[in-house]
Amino acid sequence: MTAVRTHPQGTTPPPRLPVREKSGARDRGGALSPMLTRLAAERATGVLERERGSLYLAEGRVVHAESPLAPGLDVLLLAHGTLAPAVWQDAVDRADEEYGAARLLLDAGRVPRGALELCHLEAVFDAAYFALAPSSTPGHFRYGAGHWLGAVRPVPVDAVERETLRRRELLNRLWPDPLSDGAPLRRSDAVAAPTPTARQSAVLALADGVRTAPDIARELGRQAFHTLVDVRRLAAAGLLTALFPPPRVHHAATAAVPGLPPRHALAESTGTAAAPPSPGITLPRVNDPDITLLKRLRDALEAL
Amino acid sequence: MPGIDECLLEAMRLPGARGAALVDWTSGLALGSVGEFPGGDHEAAAAEAAEVARLTAEQRAFTPDGYDRHEHADATAGPGAGVDPPVEDLIISNRDSYHVLRFVPTSFDSSVFLHVWLGRPDGNLALARIRLGEMAGRLVLG
Repeated sequence: MTAVRTHPQGTTPPPRLPVREKSGARDRGGALSPMLTRLAAERATGVLERERGSLYLAEGRVVHAESPLAPGLDVLLLAHGTLAPAVWQDAVDRADEEYGAARLLLDAGRVPRGALELCHLEAVFDAAYFALAPSSTPGHFRYGAGHWLGAVRPVPVDAVERETLRRRELLNRLWPDPLSDGAPLRRSDAVAAPTPTARQSAVLALADGVRTAPDIARELGRQAFHTLVDVRRLAAAGLLTALFPPPRVHHAATAAVPGLPPRHALAESTGTAAAPPSPGITLPRVNDPDITLLKRLRDALEAL
Repeated sequence: MPGIDECLLEAMRLPGARGAALVDWTSGLALGSVGEFPGGDHEAAAAEAAEVARLTAEQRAFTPDGYDRHEHADATAGPGAGVDPPVEDLIISNRDSYHVLRFVPTSFDSSVFLHVWLGRPDGNLALARIRLGEMAGRLVLG
């Protein structure tokens, strides 16, 4: 019998990349952040600070985005030696209102314009995905605040909103359980496991029961959303599980890492992790292979 | 030094060019696009092209000999040091047009390709392949 394969041997068939729904996105676009829609309409300049990240606007267009959950442009450019740390630091130190760090790097010929535009755009959409995530507290806008990087390639607000919605839908189609986005990850043995791709293997190698997807992204110098895509595919394949509730012993250790927000704060804010159990209550062993399998089966059925 | 727009405009100077875009194949995001695309929707075209590109890049069958070793060497050299995509380009033809997808190697971690849509009567695949390769290099290497 001839087997006709439409996907790489031994891997989960890929779901279709979702396409933006133009009519729906227009209605829902404003729902992401009504404040952002209003700021775009009035061509505001400043920074919108939300629970999980910030969006920098210049005349109503997005010029920069940052999130503690996404590696910054510096991490992406320095991790693989695109720029030397000293060169980057020098540009950051010399940046002022008129000459942003980006322009200084370009004028000095330190980085090709195409490479900087590409890497920056990816970093902006990556951080915006988290910054525009549902939040429990209202965001606030500081008028006039600029970013030391300066404008590279401004993006319209509605393009950022539509892309963020499309990305949510993409992750949901890959694997509907968002727990793996923020919880510590651990490899698991799957029966008849598909062979992970090279990029997925790099993610798997760092899943040690302590690191979360954002930690792994930072370590690999890779976009957080790209890492979430791989993590959800690996979770769907049964090769990776999220530890729930997160092991308490790691809280103190990881909260002390500079530059990273305390993990328990984020977990509480997303509502994906429960508060530590009170003494005397025994939680079920949710990482038991049988229970995990049943949960995956249930999630898959619900996703149909 | 060309930016994304200059690179795409240069691609539009290829004989028969109808549309050109720079697309991320992991997310399906169009980082830039000029001209027209099938169905009149460049975002939908980008998401569909991204899916084909991702499958091609991940298929072992299309990986050159020794790529794994090269990759392994990089993995030990540092955390995920820059790895060239395993595939250079992908050509799709139909009755009235060609699509050429050219993977862009970058010194940082990324997953992007240039996508050019060429009308069949004027399109020249050999020329498009050569030019897109040069453009991909200039875009990120200067």
